[in-house]
Amino acid sequence: MSILSLDLFLSALRLATPIALVALGETFSELSGVINVGVEGTALAGALINAIVAYHSGSPFLAVLGALAVGAFLGLVHATWAVYLRADHVVSGVAVNLLVAGIALFSTRILWGWRGTSPAAATMNPWIFVAIAFLLVGLSQVYIFRTPWGLRLRVVGEHPHAADTAGINVNRARLLYTVLNGALCGLAGAFLFNNLGRFTDGMVGGRGFIGIAAMVVGNYRPLPALAAAYFFGLVDALQMRLQTYIPSQFSIILPYLLTVVVLAGFLGRANVPKALGKPYLKEGR
Amino acid sequence: MPVEAVRMEGIVKTFPGVVANAGIDFSLFFGEVHGLLGENGAGKTVLMSILYGLYQPDSGQIYVRGEQVRIKSPSVAIRLGIGMVHQHFMLVPRLTVLENMAVGWEPRRGPFLDRAAMKKLVEALVEEYGLSVDPEAKVEELSVGEQQRVEILKALYRGAQILILDEPTAVLTEQEVEALFKTVRALRDQGKAVVFITHKLHEAMAICDRVTVLRKGKRVGTVPISEATPEKLAEMMVGREVVFRVQPKPVSREGKELLRVEDLTVHDDRGLPAVQRVSFTLVDHEILGIAGVEGNGQKELVEALTGLRPPKAGRVFLAGKEATGLPARDLARLGLVHIPEDRQATGLVLPFSLAENLILGRHREDGFALGPWAQLRRRVFHYAEDAVRTFSIVAPSVRVPVQNLSGGNQQRVVLARELGRNPKVVVAHQPTRGLDVAGMEFVWEKLLELREKGCGVLLVSMDLDEILMLADRVAVMYRGGIVGIWPKEEADKRELGLAMLGGKVATG
Amino acid sequence: MRLARELGLILASLALAFGVGALVAQLSGLSPGAVYRELWRGAFGDQYRVFQTLTQATPIMFTSLSFLIAFRAGLFNIGAEGQMYLGAFFGAWAGFTLILPQYLHTVVALLVGALAGALWGFIPGWLRARRGTNEFVSTMMLSYVAIYFTSWLVSPRGPYHGTQWANQTVRILPSAELPRFVRGMQLHWGLVIAGLLCALFWYFLFRTPRGYELRAVGQNPRAAQYAGIDVSRAMILALTLAGALAGLGGAAEILGTHRRFIEFFSPGYGWDGIAGGLIARAHPLAVIPAAVLIGALRAGGMGMDRAGVAPSDFASVLQGIVIFFVVAPELFRIFRRIRRERRVLVHSQP
Repeated sequence: MSILSLDLFLSALRLATPIALVALGETFSELSGVINVGVEGTALAGALINAIVAYHSGSPFLAVLGALAVGAFLGLVHATWAVYLRADHVVSGVAVNLLVAGIALFSTRILWGWRGTSPAAATMNPWIFVAIAFLLVGLSQVYIFRTPWGLRLRVVGEHPHAADTAGINVNRARLLYTVLNGALCGLAGAFLFNNLGRFTDGMVGGRGFIGIAAMVVGNYRPLPALAAAYFFGLVDALQMRLQTYIPSQFSIILPYLLTVVVLAGFLGRANVPKALGKPYLKEGR
Repeated sequence: MPVEAVRMEGIVKTFPGVVANAGIDFSLFFGEVHGLLGENGAGKTVLMSILYGLYQPDSGQIYVRGEQVRIKSPSVAIRLGIGMVHQHFMLVPRLTVLENMAVGWEPRRGPFLDRAAMKKLVEALVEEYGLSVDPEAKVEELSVGEQQRVEILKALYRGAQILILDEPTAVLTEQEVEALFKTVRALRDQGKAVVFITHKLHEAMAICDRVTVLRKGKRVGTVPISEATPEKLAEMMVGREVVFRVQPKPVSREGKELLRVEDLTVHDDRGLPAVQRVSFTLVDHEILGIAGVEGNGQKELVEALTGLRPPKAGRVFLAGKEATGLPARDLARLGLVHIPEDRQATGLVLPFSLAENLILGRHREDGFALGPWAQLRRRVFHYAEDAVRTFSIVAPSVRVPVQNLSGGNQQRVVLARELGRNPKVVVAHQPTRGLDVAGMEFVWEKLLELREKGCGVLLVSMDLDEILMLADRVAVMYRGGIVGIWPKEEADKRELGLAMLGGKVATG
Repeated sequence: MRLARELGLILASLALAFGVGALVAQLSGLSPGAVYRELWRGAFGDQYRVFQTLTQATPIMFTSLSFLIAFRAGLFNIGAEGQMYLGAFFGAWAGFTLILPQYLHTVVALLVGALAGALWGFIPGWLRARRGTNEFVSTMMLSYVAIYFTSWLVSPRGPYHGTQWANQTVRILPSAELPRFVRGMQLHWGLVIAGLLCALFWYFLFRTPRGYELRAVGQNPRAAQYAGIDVSRAMILALTLAGALAGLGGAAEILGTHRRFIEFFSPGYGWDGIAGGLIARAHPLAVIPAAVLIGALRAGGMGMDRAGVAPSDFASVLQGIVIFFVVAPELFRIFRRIRRERRVLVHSQP
């Protein structure tokens, strides 16, 4: 059987979905000026809550809502820290990751007595998420470049002072887009759960960080980021098929290694927002 | 009877450690250009930022068209018909003129931006005020004068009846200033109220109908221009008869060549030529001024001369020895030092202590270190305390972070460090930007002192007055080239201004 | 004065975090009192437990320093875990391959481990300095690479599969062992090495021109560049040192505690290093108490689990909460401002 088959591309499409969702979310928050490396943990929290709600309610739909909510909440926490408490954005994001990692182990023990895994619970068809990801990326591309709100978003990240003098509430915009980022990461986590049917604490496995890489390669535009995400998804799908030919450790390494290679090889004019990672102080002199 | 547009009463605003406005009254009528005159730090910009909703006053009332208002944010100000053109433009370089103007008040068709409607609106404004600018151009492609026009148009687009211009001439050439004045008069004749913030007397005299003078956060007085004389305004501004200005002393020159630049070509970050075949020499006891509108290659030229950017072609000689492309550290050893343009961004490490900043770049010198593995701290502190005394730096101790010092004291730290290296050549890039008058005078005196001691000083400045006051020769940069070098005696402000625009007279 | 303020901040953060932790415990159906009592007893209850705490703190000191040195240069080393695995494996390899006299063998094996880690820090450092590659993502990705690569080395299909029943190498030679303090206790000389390194790196950062350059690059790279400091070199140096420290920590853990390389041996010491560096507020000397704190949470967590009052992972949750409060100094400034304003209000009342 050939490695390159329709099946491979279908599986790439699925595996790319969480990466694409994270990349999209990160595109929004970074355009507004907020770096969020907590996406990894936020996605994990989404998967966890999805598992918990699905297990207890039996409703996969309600479970996804739970994932969205917890993602948005963690986005809110990160935004509060980064925007209002002026914590270093990366440090605050790291804190999110560490906290969720702890909570994942703790709550699975408390709830099910297993360290880091959940029992199987109600799921919905993961292809729904694939379709939603496509739809969201398309809508976002239009939103960012064709609507007034998208224009304002770009001004907030590039020149917050100009946005302020145009009557835009800079910090509130940053908060909202970081919450949106969180919700999208929660959705990515929900996909991971529904794709596997259960929760494991390693299920995000760096896909959040790869999502950031996809955003960088996409140069702050949703559609190119989607393309990058599908590239990484393809690598992931390929990796799984290669496990029959080479030691599994090597195939697991492949996506991680390629991410570094792609990032290192990525050249071109980066549209990094000018005010990225910098707090906006209104009365600062 | 003219209608009162704005009345501000008893405005008080303090920042930690500074009283910016100490109970200021201000009144503005429609159909007048009202000058707000004062030195840097007198509180002009703060007062107008309060009117524009950027700052909240600690106390005081504001009336617009006779009604008391609370201006909580710029959007409130804009709704009240107030517009402000800031000294640092509020424009996003990567976006187009249209996008920059529309943001916040976008014409829509359904949920989408209506670009056609936007364009029509802008073109109507361009027509009405004769401010020519291409609405589809990206702001980063525009000249400074054009960007200012975009800012004015932006304010008008938002329906401004009351327009605040903050030091609008600081970045313009003589010709562009005239064009701006024409626009301002047109606005006044249409019945708009214009506040013109400046610290330059002749500008206030030339354009304003009335002038309010501020000093140290207080209003000194308001006079109609018909009753004002430059002398009277100067006295009001500084509280003494004559404006103190430094005077270069005559020096005897040996004619020793300290710096020679031959056909230097430098590229900018995007890889495009920013400096093209520039040549000049600098001799002992000389200040060579480089004038020009910002963004004509001055930054790249300075970076290439100071070892921060490798030149693409051409050669540089330092005291006769080739020094092309040497790194900053080697150049410093050969006697070339750099007073950078933006002291906070490039001249200092703000969280570092005063003492640590005083050895930045010199931290490996023999007096301060034993090889790379031991810093001689006691010597560093001794040296720092000496520098604090000789440069009159006001600081509680040499261990405080420089971010706690005032701008003037921060600049003194940079000067103390660089001049402490006993340089032969000093490249000073906008050394007085953002300083108050005392700070400026200190810097000017230091530069003249260097000249008297025999150093060569390359003074790059956007302020033509500063250059004409200090420089022995004036070179003008335009689009990456030096279009001419004039001895001080032959330098004429109008001619230089023309050269700064590439010999063309400004239009529109 | 500054020390007192920093200390106050940390203690306030800890108090707040333990308060929130109690709430979490309560909501999870646990008894906060019992949880904290067993946590304390598990960490400091008797000599054995204190030793366990210090054993846990040892690798965390190394990885905290690793995070800190990069952080001081304005960089994020998120990959200490992987660097530690490489250091651990190659330290073990030197320990069972080379034939050297006692002590010298240990030193050489430690250095080999440090070198392997250094390489794993150098690569992202070089990529960052020369290609602008985001070191946060690259250290993270390379960390996975190192973990799975070492796992393959000791897997049944790998070249260093040392024992039948588990994926690990053969035992290191006795000459390469890092001596333990007391028989029957795992605590070893790695702790002393780590403590000395904290002092050494304090000296390096605050008393040498090289350390000065590194900090200048971290605080304002442009000003550093203007001052003639080679920014790229400082960045590469910082991440290489970070890798070396993590690698050294891994080698010490193997030579002192496990005496052989075991796949997936680390319970997340690399991640604890991030926490340790942040809690220490990037001060090398403060790393010692910070690492002990995290070690205590780990050891105490196990005690809690044994006593059956809470899963050991509650300690990780607690650690996460601590970090949130530590990284937001502004939070306390706001508290102080509110308090001051309230005082003003009280005073202004007639």
